[in-house]
Amino acid sequence: MATLTLDALNKRYPNGNAALLGIDLSVEDGEMIVIVGPSGCGKSTLLRCLAGLETISEGELKIDGERVNEREPAERDIAMVFQNYALYPHMSVAENMAYALKNRGVPKPAREAKVRETARVLGLEALLDRRPRQLSGGQRQRVAMGRAIVREPKVFLFDEPLSNLDAALRVQMRLEIRRLQKRLGTTAIYVTHDQVEAMTLADRLVVMNAGRVEQIGTPMTLYQRPATRFVAGFIGSPAMNFLPLEQGAAGWRLPGGACLELEGFEGRPSSLGVRPEHLRESDAETALFDVRVELIEPLGADTLAYCRLDGTATPLVVRLDGARQLDEGERLRLDAGIDRLHLFDAEGRRLERRSLDHGRAPLLPLSASL
Amino acid sequence: MTTFQRHRFTPWLLLAPQLVVIAVFFFWPASQALYQSLYVQDPFGLSATFAGLDNFIQVLVDPEYRRALGVTVVFSASVALLALSVALLLAVLADRVVKGARGYRTLLVWPYAVAPAVAGVLWMFLFDPTLGVLSAMLGTLGVDWNHRLDGGQALALVIIASVWKQVSYNFVFFLAGLQAIPKSLLEAAAIDAAGPWKRFWTITFPLLSPTTFFLLVMNTTYAFFDTFGTIDATTGGGPGGATRTLIYKVFEDGFVGYDLGASAAQSVILMLLVGALTLVQFRYIERKVHY
Repeated sequence: MATLTLDALNKRYPNGNAALLGIDLSVEDGEMIVIVGPSGCGKSTLLRCLAGLETISEGELKIDGERVNEREPAERDIAMVFQNYALYPHMSVAENMAYALKNRGVPKPAREAKVRETARVLGLEALLDRRPRQLSGGQRQRVAMGRAIVREPKVFLFDEPLSNLDAALRVQMRLEIRRLQKRLGTTAIYVTHDQVEAMTLADRLVVMNAGRVEQIGTPMTLYQRPATRFVAGFIGSPAMNFLPLEQGAAGWRLPGGACLELEGFEGRPSSLGVRPEHLRESDAETALFDVRVELIEPLGADTLAYCRLDGTATPLVVRLDGARQLDEGERLRLDAGIDRLHLFDAEGRRLERRSLDHGRAPLLPLSASL
Repeated sequence: MTTFQRHRFTPWLLLAPQLVVIAVFFFWPASQALYQSLYVQDPFGLSATFAGLDNFIQVLVDPEYRRALGVTVVFSASVALLALSVALLLAVLADRVVKGARGYRTLLVWPYAVAPAVAGVLWMFLFDPTLGVLSAMLGTLGVDWNHRLDGGQALALVIIASVWKQVSYNFVFFLAGLQAIPKSLLEAAAIDAAGPWKRFWTITFPLLSPTTFFLLVMNTTYAFFDTFGTIDATTGGGPGGATRTLIYKVFEDGFVGYDLGASAAQSVILMLLVGALTLVQFRYIERKVHY
């Protein structure tokens, strides 16, 4: 039960490499924050700074309003679940879970009661006397969770805890982690590179790129209104399509010749983004995209079609209903609702419509001249 | 299976060099020792008379032999414990060094390449009562160092010289063992509120136990057998037998006293002793080892 505040956190290594550049984040009590980003973006470094395993170069870290920059990991009252679980191989499951309590001077009867209770919650009762090597991957993961939970820390830190599990188990543990965290109401920071994990677990998502925070928000906010082209491309699977825009006489030209009249936007658009799942087949004369199907991936419920804009090399991915029979080489006409189009400027920043309270009036007059 | 049957002699051929080496340098001398321990030879080696177990009885009732056994126990225990603990300390320190780590490690390994006799002479000079640098320094501290007269000091000197030789060997293994411990385990322990001292004794040390056990066996064997050169060059077993270990007595009785029968009997006893000790180590200490 704690709040966590990061104020302009910086991390520089002695060799001059900067891993974190001015991270601001405020985590509320009981919130589950997922930090997501490509490898090398600094997300794990950030977590290690929170844990106290790395020093903070500049800025301030507060837990429950108290500055903890200089505190040892043990004094921060946090618990961490490591990617490789980091179970002590020479201790039984029970000893692994009791280790932190023992170090904190919890008397033996209380310690044993707590370990038993935690083991019951996680379904580990039958395994208490086993050594980590005698456990399966999923069981080890559970023990690592148990070791964190049994201490009742202020904050949980998760460092890609599911990445060593197979796909089915990962889905199951993901749900379990969420359920446990909600039930315990403990503030949690969860680092992952898997955007599905990120979307499903998070109260709020933090997308990081190259040591900076790109955007913080609820999963749906990030999906619907990504603040940057990077976030737009990172969140959602398959990734958003980006098409370059060129200013022409009749408006903004897309590759392939379609023209858009774009009004009501702040700034100068340079690319247009549209998600594969928001493209629909259309017979209308005004359809935005004429494409040729190159490759088909049937997923059952959906079919992914990898296309190119007619007459160009510009790729476009579209997600269609699984029932739709497609052939490679087939031509499709695709369209998307106006509010499904995202515009970004040359720096990759999202361009917002000037006024959002116009209701359903078409704010983005479209005309396709093909 | 068919492959093995067709090449029935190939495995033996491949094993042959190793088997020949063991037979020539271990089994043959060992059987010779066993054979000689049952005979009494005349001083010129011209004839030998069967003596049964007389050599063994003579050795075991000899107060000098029991004294050598006592010296060996003190010497071996000290060498093994000191060599292990000093090497572990150095390895833990070297493991923390980031800059120039390779340089330090190489320097720490060097003593292993020094021949035992050279190491013995080196320490003898350092502690020489009249010329030695270290004995002079001890003199200013009020310690009257003379290992040629003082048996206790002589024993200390051969222990120091033997430990110094063995530390490098242990160091290499401990360092490798330390580096094989995943960093995340120690980080997890740091988060679990274990201080550096506690972390070492509850995580690092138990995880090093296979290495420590292996080195304990190796060091005991080293102290029993391989320290002969160091002792011979440093004190020659003196003064008055204060540094005469079992292995040194084997040499003295056999090659100085020409009592080959007694010497062979001591060899056999020594072999049985170290065999038994190793067995005990495997039976009782290995249980506490976590692989």
